[in-house]
Amino acid sequence: MYGRVNGVTVVGVRGHLVAVEAHVGRGLPSLTITGLPGAGVQDARDRIRPAVESARLEWPLRRVVVNLSPGTVRKEGPGLDLPVAMGVLAATAQVPAAALGGWAFAGELSLRGGLVPTPGMLSVAIAAARAGLRGVVVPAENAAEAALVDDLEVVGAASLAEVVGFLRGTWRPAAPQMPGRREDTKHAVDLAEVRGQAQARRALEVAAAGGHNLLMVGPPGAGKTMLARRLATILPTMSRDESLEVTQLHSVAGLLDGGLIHARPFRSPHHTVSPAALLGGGTAYVRPGEVSLAHHGVLFLDEFTEFRRDAVEGLRQPLEDGRVVVTRMVGSAVFPARFTLVAAANPCPCGFAGDPVRRCICRDDRLQTYQAKLTGPLLDRVDIRLVIPRLTRRELLGGQPGETSSSVRERVERARSLQRRRYAPLGFPSNAQLPGPVARREARISPDARELLASAVDLHALTGRGFDRTLKVARTIADLAGADLVEPDHVVEALAYRSASPVPELERAV
Amino acid sequence: MPSESRAVGPWPTWPPGYGAGDEDRRALFVLSALRGISPRNLIPIAVERGSAVATLGWIREGHAGSENDQAFARGLDPDAIARAAEACGSRLVTWTSAEYPSQLRQIPDPPGAIYLTGRAPPDVTSAVAVVGARRCTASGREAADRIGRGLALAGLTVVSGAARGIDAASHEGALSVRGSTLAVLGSGLDVAYPSASRGLIARIGRSGTLVSEYAPGTPPSQHHFPARNRIVAGLCRATVVVEGAKGSGSLITAEHAMEFGRDVVAVAGSVTSALSEVPLQLIREGATLIRDVEDLLDDLGVEIVPAEVAERLELDDAERRILDGIAEPTLPDRLASSLGVAISEVVGVLMRLELRGFVRNVGGRYETTLKARAQRDEDSERSARGTPDRATSRTGTPTPSSRLAAIDER
Repeated sequence: MYGRVNGVTVVGVRGHLVAVEAHVGRGLPSLTITGLPGAGVQDARDRIRPAVESARLEWPLRRVVVNLSPGTVRKEGPGLDLPVAMGVLAATAQVPAAALGGWAFAGELSLRGGLVPTPGMLSVAIAAARAGLRGVVVPAENAAEAALVDDLEVVGAASLAEVVGFLRGTWRPAAPQMPGRREDTKHAVDLAEVRGQAQARRALEVAAAGGHNLLMVGPPGAGKTMLARRLATILPTMSRDESLEVTQLHSVAGLLDGGLIHARPFRSPHHTVSPAALLGGGTAYVRPGEVSLAHHGVLFLDEFTEFRRDAVEGLRQPLEDGRVVVTRMVGSAVFPARFTLVAAANPCPCGFAGDPVRRCICRDDRLQTYQAKLTGPLLDRVDIRLVIPRLTRRELLGGQPGETSSSVRERVERARSLQRRRYAPLGFPSNAQLPGPVARREARISPDARELLASAVDLHALTGRGFDRTLKVARTIADLAGADLVEPDHVVEALAYRSASPVPELERAV
Repeated sequence: MPSESRAVGPWPTWPPGYGAGDEDRRALFVLSALRGISPRNLIPIAVERGSAVATLGWIREGHAGSENDQAFARGLDPDAIARAAEACGSRLVTWTSAEYPSQLRQIPDPPGAIYLTGRAPPDVTSAVAVVGARRCTASGREAADRIGRGLALAGLTVVSGAARGIDAASHEGALSVRGSTLAVLGSGLDVAYPSASRGLIARIGRSGTLVSEYAPGTPPSQHHFPARNRIVAGLCRATVVVEGAKGSGSLITAEHAMEFGRDVVAVAGSVTSALSEVPLQLIREGATLIRDVEDLLDDLGVEIVPAEVAERLELDDAERRILDGIAEPTLPDRLASSLGVAISEVVGVLMRLELRGFVRNVGGRYETTLKARAQRDEDSERSARGTPDRATSRTGTPTPSSRLAAIDER
């Protein structure tokens, strides 16, 4: 007796269609799963029989062999519980085999026969649509995300019994509601809430307009976290494709609650985070890391100098390629990870270097070790460096109320569209992504401005690498001003965003 | 300002002829390498015994010094020390040598011999010490740099200790105008300490003078630095203290200068700054107050030979308004709101001013530099004179402003 249904396994963020074959034959009662099942799938063996019996269906007291094909892909995750159960039910003719074709099944079963919310269902739906299937059957709680995929029927079922009822024609699913259709981009925070810090607000605007990474150096309590959180609110509104990618990543991580994500993500992992949690990984089920959860959004690393060296080093690949490749013995998983990095650090170990009132008490050698951590290959990819002073009460009260996020975002979007048009033939999304030589060729800088940049190099205010960074930031400032050429005014403002040391004599390395 | 030093005091000093002759020189190589015995302890023995050879013999026989030093004195090979001194390009200048700086003969506990590389040490009238905090502020560093330049341009030698901060800035100031500078080290001349100053010490060794009373190979030690400071003060007609926190070494140098009857000068600072502690205390005790290098040059009665002064850029309106808006360390935000200018423009103008050295960024706030203040004075003076010619007055004698121009330009 033989049955065959479609399942989907998720590797990285990508769903792969899996043919689940079940054979019920003579022998002692047992369930064997073949076809490179991962530990999580092996785990399902003892869960499926109670689930089937709880649904008042019959479990064959014979030898059951389930094969997952193709055998070259390792199958992971709990989403294969349902297709395995359905395969056995098909093999024992408890569901009509004719009704199975065209559907993919996914979801984790409970011992009582319920379908519990399962990560990665959006990826499952995308894979099913790509394979040209008619629809997917997923846990009821995941129906909304699966329904984001166009031209695909979605059946959200709360239990195995309902799935069987659906195939027998005795139960009809409720149409999944479409929460993803409303254009809700409201963030919980707004740039207008920041008092004072006009220079930092302006720097955020420039960072958002050019996709530049940012380093903020300032004492505790200066408002670094507050500012970083608001960067996500002034980035351009996400396109539907971007939203889908973000939603898919959150779905795979099991963090999705509801439908499409519209707001750009803001992730701020603690500095004790492990490389696997930051970059993606895990032993049994490979999960996306914080860098991927920040995809199309902001990754904020507070207390940057305290992060583990191996974790920080690992950030270089996503910053360069916009994706993370997690390699395991059985294969590798790819997660997209194109985010804006915002790093924050104290000016020195005691936190008071450069403070006009408190005196820094750090020893010279510790200060130098600390400053060395604020340079290096990773921070070479940071274009904007900013000193955030702790405001006195007078300065705080004198601060003007700022612009709202939405009005800043309008300017950012205009600047971004200029960049997209300019770099369309080259395939770079924004100024920050340009490699140095390309930036020098494409920046469109006026002779006066070029002269000024060159003189900054002569004054030792800039290194060669600093030259490229400043040029790119100046290009962004020109884009914000709607200027065709980079003018001297844009260059001088960009020069002001290059220094991140409140201790001037230690600044030379920057 | 009296610059004549007091005559040799009533304190005991090295006997005449101490260190004369080859044998005595060899003995001095060994004596300079003893770590536990200072001139203060050695002088009475030398007075009693007469020569360096006899003094060394007395220690070797176990009549003086710690057991370590006695063992050391017996075991050391003077020729090895002489070779090491030669290897680092230094020569031993003994008490009786003609090259021994005469101003050091007038202080208590002078070194019996010093190691010296480079140019001969200056006489007392042309040496000025500039000392201060290692952890100084940016404006302290600027003041020291300008003083170093000004003194060097006036043909004086800038003497300091090659430490980080004020010391280094004053040496650098002198070197930047190819002037004369001298560093007194608290270790052997082949031991570049602190390591951060290694490059600076090497450059001083090439174009200036390095001095130490310790044999080559002697590591720096805590008690060497106060002793080194007495040589710094002893070499100079005046000691300028730029910044110093309570209990700092610059106070010791200034006290030595006072004790030796030399001038003490202090750069005034804000009463709220911890780094003004020493200068302000010295001013209360009678030190001469200066605001900038200009005051110092006036007080010393020296002149800079003004070179050709390049045409300087004028400040434009926006730059002048922002510069005038900075009375204390100020946030760009405040300038933007008080002047009604967009923050992006303020940031840009501040950057222009910073590149030209008129403002500096300290922890996110901007403050004006001494250079900006000097330029402002000059501007108001010029408008009072009503003449566009600001390099030299009609008679060709340099005006104070042209002096500053020379300092700023080089």
